[in-house]
Amino acid sequence: MENKEPLSPHIQIYKWHISSLVSISHRITGIINIIVITFICLLASLLVLGHNSYEMINLFLISKIGKFFILGITWSFCFQVLSEIRHLIMDLGYGFELKTTKITGLIVIFGSVLLTVVFFLIAKNFL
Amino acid sequence: MVQLNLPENSKVKKGKYFKDTTGSKNLKKVNIYRWDPSSGENPRIDTYEVDMDNCPSKVLDILNKIKNEIDPTLAYRRSCAHGVCGSCAMNMGGKNGLACTTPHAGIEGDIDIYPLPHLKVKKDLIGDLDGLYKQYKSIEPWLKSNSKSETKEIYQSKEDRAKLDGAYECIMCACCSTSCPSYWWNGDKYLGPAVLLQAYRWIIDSRDDERQARLKKVADELKLYRCHTILNCTSACPKGLNPAKAIAEIKKMLATANI
Repeated sequence: MENKEPLSPHIQIYKWHISSLVSISHRITGIINIIVITFICLLASLLVLGHNSYEMINLFLISKIGKFFILGITWSFCFQVLSEIRHLIMDLGYGFELKTTKITGLIVIFGSVLLTVVFFLIAKNFL
Repeated sequence: MVQLNLPENSKVKKGKYFKDTTGSKNLKKVNIYRWDPSSGENPRIDTYEVDMDNCPSKVLDILNKIKNEIDPTLAYRRSCAHGVCGSCAMNMGGKNGLACTTPHAGIEGDIDIYPLPHLKVKKDLIGDLDGLYKQYKSIEPWLKSNSKSETKEIYQSKEDRAKLDGAYECIMCACCSTSCPSYWWNGDKYLGPAVLLQAYRWIIDSRDDERQARLKKVADELKLYRCHTILNCTSACPKGLNPAKAIAEIKKMLATANI
């Protein structure tokens, strides 16, 4: 009898809110960042092998895919940092009113995009 | 564990279509989750065309209208119809709430009505809340006082009483707990927002003498710290309470208290 009873639909039907979207993105960017940091370490250690491997890394980074990759991880890191700040504020017990969570959530989403653009412009003009 | 897909026996099929017979021009399509325990079939979505010209303003009114005028086999819980008893908690337009206090005008397009998410379904819109009630019992939601006197009142100052505002109003409708993804994946161990709000309500009650023991009891990786401030609970609560904040306050107490 017990196994016969169906499970009611959950994530399939539940509406996304800004707060839940930021929460799941926080997790996903966290996982991406760990993988990316490992990847960067591997790339850096390749330098030990000499000039040829440096060329390889350089080729990858100046390609279209490489640039997309860099922009992507810049956004991912920005998002993680902003969202973490939001979490820290919440850990102190502030910002739990529905309106506030919506505003801080939006700040995290748009702020991360804005920061990515800023970093992109700085890198393009000054480096 | 996290299981995104529904099990095979829970996959929702397309169901019957009930065409309007009143000839009304102001129709609304209402899609309702149906499951009949005696049929042995999978759950299905039945669609009803409802005449909105002769229907009061709340979602519960639609359900009553369907049950009274179109399809008497529809099963759902309801009692007070004034947002006090918490019986008619369900998922409407993708959000949990009480059918009796949710205006259907606020839902755009077709109205989708499901039982509370991630529960074993008893029939149609009726979910099994046994697990939640067991968890509620586990936090011992009653006053524990060392006071020996049975005739003398336990004094509580106005300030201490005010601390209970926003916690005592909970009607245990389970809208918040069943809106919480953490509770979906770990509902057997994580207490969930509804029960934690009640735990908080007794922890901060100035008349209670078991504060330390209560705090110790919820201080658990799974029972409490599965809350990741997703905040679905707060946006679902039909009474406007803030379970997420209560959970954060418990975490804060545990971080600063010496236990």
